[in-house]
Amino acid sequence: MNAKNTCPEYAARLRTASDLINKVNYEIKRGSLARKKLVWLELTGCSGNIISLLDGSNPGFKYLVSMMCDLIFSNSLMASEGEAAMERLFGIPDNEFILAVEGAVSTRNNGLYNVIGRFRGEPVTALKAIRILGERASHVIAVGACASHGGTSAAKPNPARCVGIQSLLKRRVIKLPGCPCHPDWFLGTLAHILLYGEPELDDRDRPLLFYSTLIHDRCPRRSFFDQGIFAKKLGESTCMFKLGCRGPVTRIDCPIRKWNQYVNWPIGDDTPCIGCAQFGFPDQMEPFITYNTTRGVRK
Amino acid sequence: MSKKIIINPVTRVNGFMEIDATIDNNQVTDVKTEGLLFRGFEKMLVGRNPFDVVYFTQRICGICSTAHSIASTLALESAMGITPGKQGRYLRDILHGCEYLQNHIRHFYQYTIPDFVRLPEKYPFLATDHNDFRLPKEKNDEVTEHYFESLDISRSAHEMLAVLGGKAPHNHGIFIGGITTRAAADRIIKIKSILHNIRRFIDEKMVPDVFTIARYYSDYYKIGGGYGNLLSFGCFNGYEVLGTLYVDPLVYSNGKTSAFDPGGITEEIDYSWYKDKQDTYKPMDTAPEADMDKNKAYSWVKAPRYNGIPYETGPLARQWLSGEYRNGISAMDRVIARVLEARKITQVMGILLENLIPDVSVQQEYDIPASAEGTGLVDTTRGALGHWLKIDNKLISFYQIITPTAWNLSTRGNNGSRGTAEQALFGTMIKDIEHPVELGRIIRSFDPCVSCATHVYSQGRCIKTIQVVP
Repeated sequence: MNAKNTCPEYAARLRTASDLINKVNYEIKRGSLARKKLVWLELTGCSGNIISLLDGSNPGFKYLVSMMCDLIFSNSLMASEGEAAMERLFGIPDNEFILAVEGAVSTRNNGLYNVIGRFRGEPVTALKAIRILGERASHVIAVGACASHGGTSAAKPNPARCVGIQSLLKRRVIKLPGCPCHPDWFLGTLAHILLYGEPELDDRDRPLLFYSTLIHDRCPRRSFFDQGIFAKKLGESTCMFKLGCRGPVTRIDCPIRKWNQYVNWPIGDDTPCIGCAQFGFPDQMEPFITYNTTRGVRK
Repeated sequence: MSKKIIINPVTRVNGFMEIDATIDNNQVTDVKTEGLLFRGFEKMLVGRNPFDVVYFTQRICGICSTAHSIASTLALESAMGITPGKQGRYLRDILHGCEYLQNHIRHFYQYTIPDFVRLPEKYPFLATDHNDFRLPKEKNDEVTEHYFESLDISRSAHEMLAVLGGKAPHNHGIFIGGITTRAAADRIIKIKSILHNIRRFIDEKMVPDVFTIARYYSDYYKIGGGYGNLLSFGCFNGYEVLGTLYVDPLVYSNGKTSAFDPGGITEEIDYSWYKDKQDTYKPMDTAPEADMDKNKAYSWVKAPRYNGIPYETGPLARQWLSGEYRNGISAMDRVIARVLEARKITQVMGILLENLIPDVSVQQEYDIPASAEGTGLVDTTRGALGHWLKIDNKLISFYQIITPTAWNLSTRGNNGSRGTAEQALFGTMIKDIEHPVELGRIIRSFDPCVSCATHVYSQGRCIKTIQVVP
């Protein structure tokens, strides 16, 4: 075959690899230009989920902000303060950011029970912030119990009339209940969004990746339960079902993942699971600890 | 000509607050510190199972949750007439020490350093809006490197906590009698090994870094002092055999140190969004209701007082009262005291670890009394923390919490006297009105935890804007 009579398909084949590489380079470049932004919003809660995030490892916080996305706003960590900080928050273009929210939303007195800053002189309530930013983000992730369903902030009698963020937003909110949220649950969900899009969720919008299986089903003390060997006080190495363990109703991967560099977890600490990753925590998970072996029910 | 400066949010504190200052001739002539979050924990706790308060009250605060587990446990033990044994106390205080380290390292590097060191702006969250950065390039680069390195170190402090505490934040290990689990040799050596690394980081990097900052910002030794009244409930103290390893319950005022008397504590609420039959009360008397329709009120933080006057609490108070550090009382001294305290805590933990007997179980089957009252007072990371509770019909019938930040970020007292941090801000000269960096730096020197201090917030007044008042 000479140059004049080159088979078009053959020529195309020769270019396939370089076309793909160019395409990938183009996408990488485009991707880096449009690198996803992350807004971490602390609302009506204890700000313990951002502390838990700092406890993450591989990926850790530095990898998150260096390699995964641009962290634009975090009340706990950003250098900027006051009006300038709020300018950075509200200056982000629509759909270019992923919104991670911790804390519930106080609705009492038109939201004035929790003001998170001032923008152009006016107080920005948690309620106002979630309504504005929640609709503008490309994805919304509720990080921890309070953002997911109200959590402790909404515990009865719910003095600040707190609600989870879903009840204020029409769009889908990915929920990562837990008190706090394990850094892996958040970072894994974020990675899924960045690399492959939204993860598969259950019917309550929790990623199946983490929330598919009951603690009880993977508990290393399950054999004690099956044999009816129950602890009578904290500190024992058998099944804590009769001390109030909520493992049988709590869907999360604590038994295999563990916490803080994977070093321990509540049952490993000889205490019952208190169901912090289950909807209804804390009110529906109490009493956390009881020595009544018939599992007294609180009125 | 007066000018208003409002900073909200004051970032790099836990929770939400506003600084509202009036400036005349570049000097702060009036100032309010306002807590902007209400949840109402004291009301939530009524009717709950008393054992549950140990885990429930931790949810007040994500950065100092262990502190609340300790104070609530002490209050329960006081109500139940239980005194933990030696090993139980050592184990519990080791967990408390882990939290001190997590907190102080994160406060110094993640919350304080961005005020004084120019961090790489390729990270958008580290971008700044002012130019008062004074470290020469090589020093700036060195501290920047430690900012990132510290992330691994503070994380390892939480890992150490989880070894005996199950997880962090919101640990499971602190409980009546000491801790829930047993410290076998493998766990003790794991903690010792992590502590060794933390101690080395503090000695070799954190302590030199704070003195580097102090050298280039020496004017901060002269501002942000405030009243100079110091208070501690004591911590790592009064061990049966070991004695006091850190600080006893003491107060310091007008140049004199005296013993702390729990009966001297009151709270005042004229300037806070609360109502009650009385505007001054003792902790066990009453827990006021939220009320946003008060003319004078401007914050959800109340005004705790000791013998009627405001006090500062926290690392500087402890370092001063224990005699460890007495250079002065100022914004910079507060930052230095926190770092030196981190080093002190590693030493205290070292002693406690040496005294552990491996694998001791300190748990029993406990019974809640039909009715009782209990008080838990302890100095925690940010200062003096008090929990007061009553039990009726085996359920919590009353709960009162006075946090360290309530002392430091208190509103005016009923007599109009400024709160502790307000007094520290009062009179400060602001170099550049457009960038009043002094205010944030002074406030952060107290390490405010507004999540703790305001078990509430509201506004209920006209909206102010930054304006020039002729």
